[in-house]
Amino acid sequence: MDYGIEVRDQEAVIRLRGRLTFNDHAKLRALIGEMGQNKLKRQVLDLSSLEFVDSAGIGMLLIAREEMDRAAKQFILRGAAGQVKRVLTVAQIAKIVPIED
Amino acid sequence: MIDGTIQGTTQEADQAVGCRTRFAGLLAPGLAADRLNRLALALRLSPLLQAPAGSAPLAVLLAGDGSAVPESDALWLPPVAAWIEPPADTGASDTADRLAPFLAEAAKSDLYLNLTTATAHDLQLGGRLLAALSARHPLEGDRRDDIELALHEAVSNALVHGNLGVAGMKELSAQELERFSRDLGDRLADPVLAGRRIVVTLRIDPAEDGRRLATVEITDEGAGFTPGPRANSGASGRGLDLIGNIADGLTIEDGGRRIRMRFRL
Repeated sequence: MDYGIEVRDQEAVIRLRGRLTFNDHAKLRALIGEMGQNKLKRQVLDLSSLEFVDSAGIGMLLIAREEMDRAAKQFILRGAAGQVKRVLTVAQIAKIVPIED
Repeated sequence: MIDGTIQGTTQEADQAVGCRTRFAGLLAPGLAADRLNRLALALRLSPLLQAPAGSAPLAVLLAGDGSAVPESDALWLPPVAAWIEPPADTGASDTADRLAPFLAEAAKSDLYLNLTTATAHDLQLGGRLLAALSARHPLEGDRRDDIELALHEAVSNALVHGNLGVAGMKELSAQELERFSRDLGDRLADPVLAGRRIVVTLRIDPAEDGRRLATVEITDEGAGFTPGPRANSGASGRGLDLIGNIADGLTIEDGGRRIRMRFRL
């Protein structure tokens, strides 16, 4: 998985690309750090270029959400499609994290 | 010789003793040609430098040092039906003897994979297995995605929680992610744990309803686990539930060291 962060006026948009699996633990740690450091209240994870996510990937997204909660920031998942959207649905992540189309 | 001329009578006899795959050739990317020739000769297989377009099943040897991990997708597709990492501590002379039991095991399945954790960890095996399966039975759309996820989850469980003994992320915190990250790194660096094997077998059989049924078994060498109700709040623990939702049959055996999944194709 790779990611890029774009800081806009109202929100930081982090675009994830490729496959998010248990093996991306180091990148997720770095990403959570970067989301904590920028000043914006709204942290949006753009999942539209993410091709695949596994259960550990979902778990790491939940950790990111929890850390943003601690930092009093909003955490939003946006644009999930295909397999990623399907897994988020099956794992009922919408109950925990706001999901936008 | 790769000529695909398996006689009907031989095939029937093979099936009676549980032989499904009769290997014709051996590929070993990264191995010197003279060594491959000797090894193939001892195993009564044809030495091959690249996968030909024929249909007779082939076995690929993967070296454990990462140098010979096939970059070519062709080595993960038919006619290759077995991927074997030879035991590390063998001299050239007895490699054939030690490989023969692996090939005998491989012959009992339609697809067979036997690798160390260190090698398997880098390979995205779920996707590779899906490609090998869907080359033999076309899979599309959601079903394809679901089966890839189930295979990936089962492989990840066997490697991370089984062979490497890394506990799942229980709390939702960056510290817990850090702990997971550190444990995974430490244990992959431990030659004993990284040398533990993961074995995957896949068989495709006709189902009663005229469709086909794939049976996948994944075995690890870890401490096992007792399946049971899980806590709902942690970051880990969803994998087995996802597999259970996707597979048409799920059995945990050998104290949690083997998972058997069935998928209607």
